Amino acid sequence: MTLYPPCLPPARSLPFSIPCVRHMLAACLAVTLLISAPPTLAGSRILATGAVTAIEGAAGGGLSPWAVLSSTASDQEIGVTAAATRAWVDDYRLTMTGASMNIYDRVELSVARQTLDLETLGGELGQDIYAAKVRLFGDVLYHPWGIWSVGLQHKRLVDGAIPTALGADKTRGNDVYLSASKLLFSAVAGRNVLLNATLRNTDANQGGLLGFGGDQGNRSWVAEGSVGVFITPRWIVGAEYRQKPDNLSAAEEDDWQSLYSAYFFNKHLSLTGAWLDLGDIAGLPSQHGGYLSLQAAF
Amino acid sequence: MAGIFHFRQLFKRDTMSYQRQHTSKQRALIALIFAAVAFSLAGCAHQAPSAPLYERLGGQASINAVVENLLYRIADDPDVVVFFANTNIDLFAESLASQLCDVSGGPCRYEGPPMDRAHQHMGLTDVHFNRVVEHLDAAMQEEGITLGARNELLGRLAPMYSDIMRLQ
Repeated sequence: MTLYPPCLPPARSLPFSIPCVRHMLAACLAVTLLISAPPTLAGSRILATGAVTAIEGAAGGGLSPWAVLSSTASDQEIGVTAAATRAWVDDYRLTMTGASMNIYDRVELSVARQTLDLETLGGELGQDIYAAKVRLFGDVLYHPWGIWSVGLQHKRLVDGAIPTALGADKTRGNDVYLSASKLLFSAVAGRNVLLNATLRNTDANQGGLLGFGGDQGNRSWVAEGSVGVFITPRWIVGAEYRQKPDNLSAAEEDDWQSLYSAYFFNKHLSLTGAWLDLGDIAGLPSQHGGYLSLQAAF
Repeated sequence: MAGIFHFRQLFKRDTMSYQRQHTSKQRALIALIFAAVAFSLAGCAHQAPSAPLYERLGGQASINAVVENLLYRIADDPDVVVFFANTNIDLFAESLASQLCDVSGGPCRYEGPPMDRAHQHMGLTDVHFNRVVEHLDAAMQEEGITLGARNELLGRLAPMYSDIMRLQ
């Protein structure tokens, strides 16, 4: 790749515009710094116990929040995490950027911006998610019952026109959830297995991107869960399932599921890839695709 | 998991696009399959391993090497070594080796003090606890102990957390 003087306008024939080259260089630099950053900057919890950033900004898998709190901050530390995620399915593209703060491994505060590009239908939907998670008790490694947390996610649509037209009652909503996570040491072929279960009360349609409530129902309890195997202490492979409400007769909704793989380069940097099956979304059937998420933590 | 996806594909072919894809019964079935996979994996945790952990750790010689390796790591860690200022290191090494032998099912009996008494009023936090866990795992790795045996030993030591932290 050739570098061009930044003062010149990009020629038509260039494969990348100059701002794009700059972004790529900045990204490469950031990744290099993160990989070589000294571990003393990280929290003291064991590698990977902060999980990755789920699509709603909380520490979790890809689709569902888990009970663990983000970063590796422990009882006397504060940790900050940022993540960028993109998911591609047949007719949509979801982008999420989010950040979270772990305060003394007791409270996790997070913000996330989701943008759903309606590649087939045209237009886009967006929402902001402000969330908090509180650890009730326990520890994912050391407590016989694992770790238990409750969380609240406040979601606000950027523009409620399309969801309202589809029959959604509201453009804002709150999800509350109870989540439990537990690592089983040496459970399968000497490998550690991570179990997560989340019970959520929600009226969000497609996680909130299609508004809240509708002609077919309102708040309901849904179950979410995941199973993952740590092939090595740095690399977990697993599956996730998220039950969903089905409130809109005009846009039927399916449960979500994924097969995921997350690699922790160190306590600062992780990369998650997944294969998604999101079912029908806003009238377009059987949405399958890929998912990539990069997370940085301090 | 492949079965679930296959099941969904089959079901989709039989439905018109305007019909509900999942009745509550089918959702329940999917949830049940998921739970069954989770619990069968959890059940594996209780299966007896092929060889006793003590042997898979390499016996007493290997355990002694791990303890020595761990102590060098602690000596190099200013956050942790302060807790050993008044400790007779030779006695400590012997006691820890007999405890690891005992915990892993070897022919030893740990006769040192209980974990809460041994650590009382030291002012330990999760920072110290986690650091020693990391040092122990690194020591085992350097001494050539397999991932499976490392995980199993850490799993047997993990429940000691509540005892060690009880009297801080």
